[in-house]
Amino acid sequence: MSLFLLQLRGELWKLFARKRTYLGFGVFLGVEMLILILWQLPRGQRWMEEMIERSGGVFQAYFSGLTVAMIMLTMTVFLLGGLYLALVGGDLVAKEIEDGTMRMTLCRPVSRERVLMVKYVTCVIYTFTLVIFIGLSALAAASMVRGSGGLFLFIPEQRLVAFFEFGPGLVRYLCALPCFALSMLTISTFAFLLSCCRMKPAAATIAAITLFFVDYIFHLVPYFESYRPWMMTTHMSTWMNVYRRPFPWELMIEDYGYLVGIDATFLLIAMVVFSRRDFKS
Amino acid sequence: MTMEGTDAMIAIKDLRKSWGGKVALHGLSFEVRRGEIFGLLGHNGAGKSTTLGILLGQVFADHGEAMIGGISVERDRARALAKTGAIFEAPRFYDYLSGWKNLEIYTSYSAKVSRKQLLEAVETVGLTGRIEDKVGTYSQGMRQRLGLAQALLPESELILLDEPTNGLDPEGIHEMRGLIRRLNRDRGLTVVFCSHLLVEVEQLCDQVVILNQGRKIFDGRWAELGGDRRRVRFEVDDWSGALALVGGMPGVTVVGDKVLGLDDETATADLVGRMVHGGIRVSGVEVERRSLEQIYLGLTQGEAGGVEG
Repeated sequence: MSLFLLQLRGELWKLFARKRTYLGFGVFLGVEMLILILWQLPRGQRWMEEMIERSGGVFQAYFSGLTVAMIMLTMTVFLLGGLYLALVGGDLVAKEIEDGTMRMTLCRPVSRERVLMVKYVTCVIYTFTLVIFIGLSALAAASMVRGSGGLFLFIPEQRLVAFFEFGPGLVRYLCALPCFALSMLTISTFAFLLSCCRMKPAAATIAAITLFFVDYIFHLVPYFESYRPWMMTTHMSTWMNVYRRPFPWELMIEDYGYLVGIDATFLLIAMVVFSRRDFKS
Repeated sequence: MTMEGTDAMIAIKDLRKSWGGKVALHGLSFEVRRGEIFGLLGHNGAGKSTTLGILLGQVFADHGEAMIGGISVERDRARALAKTGAIFEAPRFYDYLSGWKNLEIYTSYSAKVSRKQLLEAVETVGLTGRIEDKVGTYSQGMRQRLGLAQALLPESELILLDEPTNGLDPEGIHEMRGLIRRLNRDRGLTVVFCSHLLVEVEQLCDQVVILNQGRKIFDGRWAELGGDRRRVRFEVDDWSGALALVGGMPGVTVVGDKVLGLDDETATADLVGRMVHGGIRVSGVEVERRSLEQIYLGLTQGEAGGVEG
């Protein structure tokens, strides 16, 4: 095993052996169950029936596990997911500096850039793991209750209404998960950058989530529509384009190019900040 | 130059560092020879940790250079620290992981370390029976020993210890001291021992640098510091004449008006005899024996200027 993989294994061990890492997983399962129960109530079902039939679909065919899983995914990940990713991203470096374990690591003959790179890869892995876990657990729970069936999608802010049969719907749902994770990586990366600055882990988390929420709120206000291309959450929403027909390749590549560029810039700034700072008790 | 190719394990040249306008190091220079136990002594805030931080590449000096084994830490940190280990006041670990896992994680940032090497280090510090337990269950002494084990890995030739006995009970301090001596004797390890406790540095170290407010005020062996432990006041009619007779003798230093510092080899009677023989009238002799602590306090509180052995 190469030294990088050995170091990465150690970082993953540190992250996944910690109880608080699973806090996010546990909370999401709870929220998913809550959403599932709410959609089982007659009022929720009536609203859904109205939406599906007004859009030209058959309620029984499209109020399925896939449809409910998609609702659960959009409702939980975008808001709560942001919080948990900011929590872990903000912790990764700042907590180690606060605890003094970073100084112990930096006694070793390893460059600071390497230490940061290993931690960033850990951050990426956690982001993908969390989003994919939420997506799959939502699908499993919703399918158990609602069974299989077509996928109905109604996202007004994206002007997106779509119907898919079970097979193509499932494929699109599964493809959407890594795309969603890639979008959410921007929050983790920003929190990671703040974590490398001189701030407490909690401050890094709060600052990252604040920026994300402010951006999202502005994104939703019609008055700022002309500024949307400059907002991070506009590009982060591109994962929903997976459900468009025809598939908007160019738009998605452009959006992800923008996001990857932002992530790379955040990472570069993090490297510069981290490699220039003094570490002393 | 490789670590093996130079006599000085550590060479520090004209280090300067300020923290927010407050000067922490004023052009500090010293050398540590291979295989010795070297003490860096000073009050809290004297600049010991800053010096250690610069040596480990964790703190950037404003000026000057720190070399380990002839390699500049600033220019080639990875090579300079390849055979260096360190622990700070209270070594920090991932409490929710076992001692073994902690060692694996930390050492992965140096090199691939075999199970045999890990076991050997654990055995050296006497943690074999508890290494699979979570570090959160360890006592302070066990944490220090685990810290020492990680500092020894993979194949350290130099270890930097910053106040390693902080928080230990007397038994723990005694054990730690014994362990350091044993490692130095059996493995030829060079040890840099930072402390604000005079007695600790005195008991362990061959060579010492005393820092005060970022300045070196003594650099030498204990014997040299203790050279004027004995201070003798001479009541004479002609002090300049007396100085001309005995001032240049080996083991004699002029401390003040009519006061000479004598090392243990120099007898007061010899000096008196020489003065009397030279026509000086000696009406009284008063001997004052100072403890090492008094000497240290005298140095750090500015009784004497910088001394270099």
